[in-house]
Amino acid sequence: MLSTLIWLPFLGAIALACLPASISSKQIRWLTLWLTGGILLWSLSLLLQFDLHTPTLQMQEYLPWLDSLGLNYQLGVDGLSITLVILNSFLTWIAVFSSAEHVERPRLFYSLMLICSGGVAGAFLAQNLLLFFLFYELELVPFYLLISIWGGERRNYAATKFLIYTALSGALILIGFLGLVWLTGASSFAYSAVVGQSLPMLSQLILLGILLVGFGIKVPLVPFHTWLPDTYTAASTPTAILLGGILAKLGAYGIFRFGLGLFPDAWSVLAPGLATWAAISVLYGAMAAIAQTDIKRMVAYSSVGHMGYILLGGAALTTLSMVGAVSQMVAHGLILAILFHLVGLVELKVGTRELNVLNGLMNPIRGLPTISALLVLGGMASAGIPGLAGFIAEFLIFQGSYTVFPIQTLLCVVGTGLTAVYFVILLNRTCFGKLDNAIAYFPKVEWGERVPALILAWIIFLLGVQPSWLVRWSESTTTAMVSMVSPSTTPMITITTAMQSTEALMIPKN
Amino acid sequence: MTPTMSSTSTAIPPSQHPFADIIHRLEAGGAMLPDTPENLMQIIGIYKAYAVPMDFYWRDLLYIAERVFLNPVPAFKYFLPQEYLDLHNHYAGDDADLRIWRGEATAHPELLDFIKKGETKKSWPKLFHHLWHDRINMEFAEACMRAMLWHRKMYAPVNRFDPYLDTDEYKANADRAIRAYFKNNPLMLSLHKLFPEMFIEKVRELSYYANLGLFWEVMAPVFFEMSDLYDEGKITSVPEAMNFLVNGIFAIAGRPIYHHVYIDGECYEIIPKSQGMTWLYEAALPYVESVFYRTAPFRGTKSYNAQAGQVPAEQADFHYGILYADVFPVGTAGIPPTLLMQDMRHFLPSYLVDYYSQHCRGQDDMLIQLGITFQRSMYCVTSAVIQALRQALLYPLDDPNPEHLMANRQFFESQMDRFLRPEARLRDIQRQDYR
Repeated sequence: MLSTLIWLPFLGAIALACLPASISSKQIRWLTLWLTGGILLWSLSLLLQFDLHTPTLQMQEYLPWLDSLGLNYQLGVDGLSITLVILNSFLTWIAVFSSAEHVERPRLFYSLMLICSGGVAGAFLAQNLLLFFLFYELELVPFYLLISIWGGERRNYAATKFLIYTALSGALILIGFLGLVWLTGASSFAYSAVVGQSLPMLSQLILLGILLVGFGIKVPLVPFHTWLPDTYTAASTPTAILLGGILAKLGAYGIFRFGLGLFPDAWSVLAPGLATWAAISVLYGAMAAIAQTDIKRMVAYSSVGHMGYILLGGAALTTLSMVGAVSQMVAHGLILAILFHLVGLVELKVGTRELNVLNGLMNPIRGLPTISALLVLGGMASAGIPGLAGFIAEFLIFQGSYTVFPIQTLLCVVGTGLTAVYFVILLNRTCFGKLDNAIAYFPKVEWGERVPALILAWIIFLLGVQPSWLVRWSESTTTAMVSMVSPSTTPMITITTAMQSTEALMIPKN
Repeated sequence: MTPTMSSTSTAIPPSQHPFADIIHRLEAGGAMLPDTPENLMQIIGIYKAYAVPMDFYWRDLLYIAERVFLNPVPAFKYFLPQEYLDLHNHYAGDDADLRIWRGEATAHPELLDFIKKGETKKSWPKLFHHLWHDRINMEFAEACMRAMLWHRKMYAPVNRFDPYLDTDEYKANADRAIRAYFKNNPLMLSLHKLFPEMFIEKVRELSYYANLGLFWEVMAPVFFEMSDLYDEGKITSVPEAMNFLVNGIFAIAGRPIYHHVYIDGECYEIIPKSQGMTWLYEAALPYVESVFYRTAPFRGTKSYNAQAGQVPAEQADFHYGILYADVFPVGTAGIPPTLLMQDMRHFLPSYLVDYYSQHCRGQDDMLIQLGITFQRSMYCVTSAVIQALRQALLYPLDDPNPEHLMANRQFFESQMDRFLRPEARLRDIQRQDYR
């Protein structure tokens, strides 16, 4: 069941690579679209079998592999990973949809995208540390190639930077995993074998620190973020969607799964520092975004800021904040995908991403009115406007974190305000104002190009007005994670019980 | 046809003006618009598309000025009665005073067909077509009229129309018509007594309705004839098109401008023909000045923020005319430029539809493409006016006297100075890819 999500993309990638050269780029795109659509449907079918009340792993799969190394093929899904697995399948489909009809070397391009998708799915599902590491590292090369071959200006520089940072991230994670197994004397790299093992606090702090830096590079968190703006900016639109929408979430997932999950005591010791780190990331990301004149770079820096909210939610470690953090991973993935898709369209049609040149795109006849309107919606969602998915996630994080880290939470709320500032700057300069006669000969946006953004917008809106569809999946798992650390800090009510008690109040007692 | 260099090029040194190339072209008998087959095709096509709604505009303007007059609720002023559709144009048809167009004197067949079925081709009641804006949008014509009204005192003392509106004679004529019109309406008569200037000012506006109606009555057949001549292969260059306009201007320069009102079958001459107002000085020049240069209802996204100092203190400093217009609509459907473009779109010749389909966004931005074509065509009309003024006030282009040629040069340069502003589209229309 779960293996399908990993191996179908890999098999698809091999099949695409073997297609004859006579098949056009357009046909290969459609084939990939059908394949990723099928994978998406398959991943959605997991929801039907997923038990909301079970915090532990579900749908587990096990195959012995290199037992002597402690490396076995162990898969499973829980509330932490289920939504991310679906996000991965969905954004891969969207990324293929948003790719141009005519791509250079299409077989290689789409094969690499499928490998990325399969690799990320494997990392989310792996329940063995070494298996996770293998999948984690597996994406490095395809992403490097996607950036360096199909990227924009300075793509080689960006791809090399990405490679160096990500390789360093992988090395640190491997050191962390090896250190954990060696120090605990665990018999294998199975997650279940190492979780709950006791280690001296100092060892825990060192190992957690190594993992935080390793995954922090991937998220990325300040000051390990410098690869991100260059890479996101240089990457083509579909690659940027995969990078920002999925790969960054892998870093956040790793922090929670392995940092929090394996070192809960050390986590609670470091929590105030992590919350402060989160606040710094949020404020730095927002202020750096304000200073940008390249809209893609602005969106990239916004990602730095928004990933900080996830760390804040995890640091606070309350049921609400954890649910909010997991929801933020999904919401941010969707919002970043729509923003990158739209920014990519603006660049494709107008030929520039410079705020100083762009103007008046809302013009109904010669501008890009639908794209501008969706950009406004994306900006609103990113700024946490109520009624959209971003608001739910951020609100839950702030609500859950304030009682634990009030100052850091308030600083992050300021960061939300700054998000509104740079999106107002972006929208005001890009969409509004006067369309310049001299440059306003943009090709029109075809319906096919609008569809990915319309689908994303619809989902962002839907999850905004029906948030239970976003938060329900992770609730039991995150509650279990919170209780694992320190029962005293956990609020006694969960979201569901809160809703139930609200309903009970509304029912008159006899 | 490429304009041949006239004697000017050798008799006096080249102009040092920023628009020297265009000035040399004017001195060679050309227009501000470059002479290319593409330009010619565009301007002639748009003249035809403009002339059909213009045939409605002039009839309805006269109908409002003469019949609707001071109706306090003129809800049906755009519902042109058959009498005015059948009204004979004085410059077309067999009984024309001066036959400019070889077609019929009554309303153009394409116009009648459009009035009947509209764009929707539905046989709905006329009111539905009206409310759906599936009609000729008279709002554009009224906006042009208001531009002339707002920019009073132009071309004084040559233009005698405007000062006449402040004379006692005019006021007495207007007062007589007002009293006759409201003779059974004591409320309106009381208002007229209380505020004697109120209805007089309204009548001044109606006089401009008549003025513009009479101006366009001439222009519609001119444009129809130009279109026919182009189709017959008899106009083959932009200068030929411009010269046709120049000749037309002189041919009908003396056409009387007047304002008559018909109340209960009696004609009240508010501006009698005997005043000697003429088409060129009392209608054409003020129209060109106000609508082409100053305040066309063609504003695009131009801001009118007075507090930011964006509205000039002097009306003469206005530069919001068609020749300066940014034709990208703001986005509201109801602003007049969009309506004019919509009106013209219904009557585009097929070659122009094909042409627009091949450029920019094809059908999707045809309104803008034809708006820019319209701007090009108005530069051609303005060229004709400049050449006509030069011909009337100065010297022939082939005058052997260098001083005369220099006087012509200075005249052309002073005219081109008006396009030195960055908003002016003169530079843009030199490029074929300005669409």
